[in-house]
Amino acid sequence: MAGGVAVVGAGGFVGARLLEMATLAGRTDVVPIVRAYRSVGRNAHLGVPHRIADASRPDSLADALAGCDVIVNLTTGRPADILPITGSVYAAAVAVGARTVVHMSSAAVYSQIARPGLPDDAAPQLDHWMSYARQKGLAESFLRERMREQRPAIVVLRPSLVWGPGSPWVLGAARELLAGSAYLVGDGAGVCNLMYVDNLVRSILAVADDPAPVSRFFHVRDDEHVTWREYYGALAAGLGVDAATIHGVTMDRYRVGPRDALGALRSSSAYAWVKERIPLETRTLIKLRLPHARRNEPESLGGRPTVTREMWELQRTRYSLPTDAFHAAYGHQNETSFPSGIAASLAWLRFIGLRDGDRSALSAA
Amino acid sequence: MQWPVRRSNGSPEPIDIAIIGCGAVIAGLHASALRKLESRGTARVVALVDPDRSRAIALGRQFRWARPFATVAEAFAATAPALTIVASPPALHADHAVAALAAGSHVLCEKPMAVNAADAERMVTAAADARRSLAIGMTRRLATGLLEARALIASGALGDNVRFVYRDGAVYDWPVSTSAPFSRATAGGGVLFDLGSHAIDYLSALFGTPSVMAYADDAQREGVETNCVVELDFPEASGFAQLSWNQPLATGLDIVGEKAELRLHPFRPDSLLWRPRGGRWQARESRVTLARDVELRPVRGAPRTYYEAIYYQLVQVLRAVRYGEAVHVDGEQGLVAVRAIDTCYRQAAPLRLPWLAAAEQARADDRHWSRERWLAA
Repeated sequence: MAGGVAVVGAGGFVGARLLEMATLAGRTDVVPIVRAYRSVGRNAHLGVPHRIADASRPDSLADALAGCDVIVNLTTGRPADILPITGSVYAAAVAVGARTVVHMSSAAVYSQIARPGLPDDAAPQLDHWMSYARQKGLAESFLRERMREQRPAIVVLRPSLVWGPGSPWVLGAARELLAGSAYLVGDGAGVCNLMYVDNLVRSILAVADDPAPVSRFFHVRDDEHVTWREYYGALAAGLGVDAATIHGVTMDRYRVGPRDALGALRSSSAYAWVKERIPLETRTLIKLRLPHARRNEPESLGGRPTVTREMWELQRTRYSLPTDAFHAAYGHQNETSFPSGIAASLAWLRFIGLRDGDRSALSAA
Repeated sequence: MQWPVRRSNGSPEPIDIAIIGCGAVIAGLHASALRKLESRGTARVVALVDPDRSRAIALGRQFRWARPFATVAEAFAATAPALTIVASPPALHADHAVAALAAGSHVLCEKPMAVNAADAERMVTAAADARRSLAIGMTRRLATGLLEARALIASGALGDNVRFVYRDGAVYDWPVSTSAPFSRATAGGGVLFDLGSHAIDYLSALFGTPSVMAYADDAQREGVETNCVVELDFPEASGFAQLSWNQPLATGLDIVGEKAELRLHPFRPDSLLWRPRGGRWQARESRVTLARDVELRPVRGAPRTYYEAIYYQLVQVLRAVRYGEAVHVDGEQGLVAVRAIDTCYRQAAPLRLPWLAAAEQARADDRHWSRERWLAA
């Protein structure tokens, strides 16, 4: 296949939706690439052949890229893998003479967006406290140094919160709203910087279809300036949750909470060492006895908010990312509005049966 | 009652086991339980069959007496296992089970029992002809929560007009070694085969034999379904099962009657919540216990995890081999789920997926795998 669009990480949330949208649009040039056969399972309904490759090995990846001249890197996984995989994808793209590498970065590289009109090529914060953001920033720096090369063109897209059906930003918020543990920092007037998944996919494909791309960075987000109060309010209304049950968090300074403390423990090498030595059966037994394992049980719903540093910082964001540059280069790709996205997200939440007592999936058949 | 052959020290001889198919099911689920039984002198794995010899050899490192074989015929020519565990790809279950039964071995067949009712019926006939047990690996039947719920339902505690919703779904994460499970040509079906065989069997254990009222899935062209919904009617209950390989469904079984409600979780064997209509949920402790060893007077217990349920399942099947006791799910009971799945596929319709735009849904409907059948007809 000449001119194919390789999607590395097609088994992830964005990758799977990209493949679905492309397939249902009649495109046959999109080549899904996944690390292991198990990742084909998510897309098995489409009947599209997948290629298997280890994205951390340029030789393995180069074989899978045969016939492709655009490579979209949508890999997800451990933060420690972000930079090596970015390097590997780039090396493979060079090896096969690709025209374009589309790299998915994140607005997380800036921590909070501290000023309006942040330029698209603003340097990331490389000493970020969050490993994921730090590694995404290092990957951007790696690619920035290679943008001087003529080929391949490197286009870095930098969305903030990718939301919509299937997104953890929808599922997590909905679960917290239903459990009575959702919270807003301050008055909830912080800017959400949402990017609906379908809008992101259209943006990616617009870059992929550009016959003469130029290497550069782009912020991407939805058109609307949605605050956290508006986002949570819209989900709450659709879920039948009284918005008055959303907690207000007034702290002016972040203090480490239990979820972040647990997260720090989980990311430690000692934790990994111990975990590897406990048989899966024993781990299953332990997990079942932990309180969060009872999440689906109606009497166990907590109601107390657990503030994380990531969410605390996100909700204090005061500015939107400017997207003029992307629109000037690739046109308007945000076909899905905020109200339409909310409607689809709520329909998805009903589909997965999240609402207690919901019986509506019968009508889905 | 059959009496076991005994060793000179008075303890029974271990039961010899053959395993057909040395992939992820055995390595990830059964191996630990088998090692436990082997270390206790209850059983020993004597034959490991897999066309990929390296997999049989690798698995064999866990079992002292095991010998690797490339084919079923070679294994049965060289060994005489009393029990054969069939864990090969589902399309081969029938051939492998029938060969084992013909060789005089009892069989524990992994789910799905077979890829169509004709194959499953062939297995049941072979078991009857050989007068051997054919057990189906419906591990969730060993959940004490399920057994307790069955007793409650049978007592009429839920009242009339019983409705249920069964959901089971998450992003697919089983460590398969090929793409064969994801093509209709090689697998026959997707999540309905995989999780649906458990779901239908689980519901059958509670309510009896189902009638399929409607079925819809999302499979296109040569793909297999990753989402499906099946509406089922039972003599005393009706409802639907929704299954997914790519959506985080609110997994569990809710049963609502006029007097009371139940909630079960298929992965938590001891989970059972109960409340009278309008009342508060309360955990209900099960008093049901199962044999935990293969002694004549066994120690009894209850599985707390899926892994423990695998162990208990093996014990039940070994007791069937040794004493002729009934297995937890026999071939006839396994046939119920296979027949229901057959019916589902015969009447498959496109599933509405709420995240698709109208034009995408229309295109998905047009690409639905059943279209090929209509066109051929």
